[in-house]
Amino acid sequence: MSGSNAGDVFRLSSTPAPMPQGGVIETPLPERESDAPFGTPQQASKPLPAWEHRLGWAYTVVLAVVTIGLIILPSRANDYSVSLTLTVLLTICMASSWNLISGFTGYVSFGHAGFFGIGAYTGALLIYYDVVHWALAMLLAGLMTTAIALVIGYPTLRLRGPYFAITMLGLTELARIIVTSWESLTFGGRGVYLPILYERSEWLTNYYAMLILTVTVVLLSYAVGTSRFGLRLFSIRDDEGAAQAMGIDTTRHKLAAFALSSFFPGVAGAIYARHTGYIDPLAFFAVIWSIRAIATSILGGQGTILGPIIGAVVLTLVSEQVWALDPNAYQMIFGGLIVLVVLFMPGGLIALLQRLAWLPRSRRL
Amino acid sequence: MDLLQVVVSGLLLGGVYALFAAGLNMIFGVMRLINLAHGELMMIGAYLTFALYAAWNVNPLLATPIAAVLLFGLGLLLQQFLVERVVGQPLLSSLLLTFGLSTLLQGIALNRFTANFRSIPYLSGSVDLFGLNISRSRLVAFAIALLVSGATYAFLRVSRFGKAIRATSQQADVAQVCGINVQQVRLITFGLGAGLASIAGSLVAMIFSIYPEMGTMFIGKAFAIIVLGGLGSFVGAFAGALGLGVAETLAAYWIDTQIAQGVSYAVLVTVLVLRPSGLFGIRE
Repeated sequence: MSGSNAGDVFRLSSTPAPMPQGGVIETPLPERESDAPFGTPQQASKPLPAWEHRLGWAYTVVLAVVTIGLIILPSRANDYSVSLTLTVLLTICMASSWNLISGFTGYVSFGHAGFFGIGAYTGALLIYYDVVHWALAMLLAGLMTTAIALVIGYPTLRLRGPYFAITMLGLTELARIIVTSWESLTFGGRGVYLPILYERSEWLTNYYAMLILTVTVVLLSYAVGTSRFGLRLFSIRDDEGAAQAMGIDTTRHKLAAFALSSFFPGVAGAIYARHTGYIDPLAFFAVIWSIRAIATSILGGQGTILGPIIGAVVLTLVSEQVWALDPNAYQMIFGGLIVLVVLFMPGGLIALLQRLAWLPRSRRL
Repeated sequence: MDLLQVVVSGLLLGGVYALFAAGLNMIFGVMRLINLAHGELMMIGAYLTFALYAAWNVNPLLATPIAAVLLFGLGLLLQQFLVERVVGQPLLSSLLLTFGLSTLLQGIALNRFTANFRSIPYLSGSVDLFGLNISRSRLVAFAIALLVSGATYAFLRVSRFGKAIRATSQQADVAQVCGINVQQVRLITFGLGAGLASIAGSLVAMIFSIYPEMGTMFIGKAFAIIVLGGLGSFVGAFAGALGLGVAETLAAYWIDTQIAQGVSYAVLVTVLVLRPSGLFGIRE
């Protein structure tokens, strides 16, 4: 999202900044790079505000409190609440990991559904054939998707914009068809049944696994988003040609971000497969998994660290309400919501809160 | 003889694919955005044809142009109020907007028509042509597809407005400087794309069963065709569509129908990785 502040003068971009509705130039949408150490001259001359230093502390405290809250949640809440929280955590994992490649570099991945499905199948089959302990199976599922991402990322990340998006869409469908056809290993369209976890203590292990995964991806997002590596990813998003000219090996950076990003949907898929106890290709390779990750990130604020988390909480809770009201209308409402967010809230909730000055403008958000 | 029959059957199917892909290709050319809702425009065209047939017993061949005109109107509305607002914005906005639209339209169709498979029992059976046993519906569908594709091609080549569309796809800024109303071109292009998708949908309704999610299957094929033929190349895409139709029916004949579904995606990925500009296309 390119805004229209003074910093734009220094950007060599072929696409003009979109004019806000009504032709009035408003305050720009979030420009995280403008708070970077070497931002625009005007901003660089200002000292960093005090809250910027305190933000790190605030984060640590909030993250610790929320994590502890989530750890003790199962002892206080009923099964439904725990299960719902697990769904929220799953959505955060998917959205935050999507954000690592697409929010940071601007390369729109429709492949997260594919990674989710491959992870689910890897984990489920390892458990089904009793090859390894389930926790190791989840880890292997993540490593599997990372390896696949490295292999397919190398040729596909050289493709620009629309071509990358279409290729990932195609590869996901291809993966679904391969899994469906490979009946001797995957049981094809009949799906895989996993042992049902009757004991509460047993199925809570899924909840905790998802919690660990979520905390990891959030910490990783923060680490990447505030690092020089993250800055280079942002520069690819804003102008890849310029980034290349500055000496950034863009292919390697994109590949690294893609590999990091692909690990989490793989593990999340495996955990979710164990949680639901039954997987089939249609449900686990459905494009909707990618779209949910994307919609969540956009709703919260793509390219930000907190955005996917806020988006996941809001989207899952709203989904739950709509579903309870009228399951038939769910798809229509979900589609309509996406359209509205794209048209009226392109910067997401984070940008909205920043415009209302409820949140500071910082790359740490 | 068997093999030849399969090839011909695939070619006939390819004609319908070409019609569907042509609209998507034009929209991409003019606006540089991927219309993920294109399959749903086709689906609505198919259901309109079905509804006209089921409710008032309208002949499908007559319902086809009626549906196309309605879809042209719907296309104009969608472009005017929704798509126009994301033209020139980052890729993600248009991808997500059109995906939201596709989900919305699918949801409406699911509510209105349920997930049941529907079909129009029209032109069933087959005819004997040069010793080949050809399905009548496929033959008629191919003839219509060829006619409409030819008309579209002529329109783009000869008419002033068609030239304006081509100029806009080549270089929108320059076209605007030359006095072309680019916004109007975008509007009409989206309407035309929707109309073409609708005709393809009506033809599909005569050949196959239709269901609310049918668009998802066809959009994958359209991507493969466009990539194979090269973006912006009308003739290339037509050849690509025929090729894909044949490849799919051959895969279904030799291996199985499950694998045949994957052919388009395999083609898509292979071509993009090996030759990103397509076989006939212009380099970006």
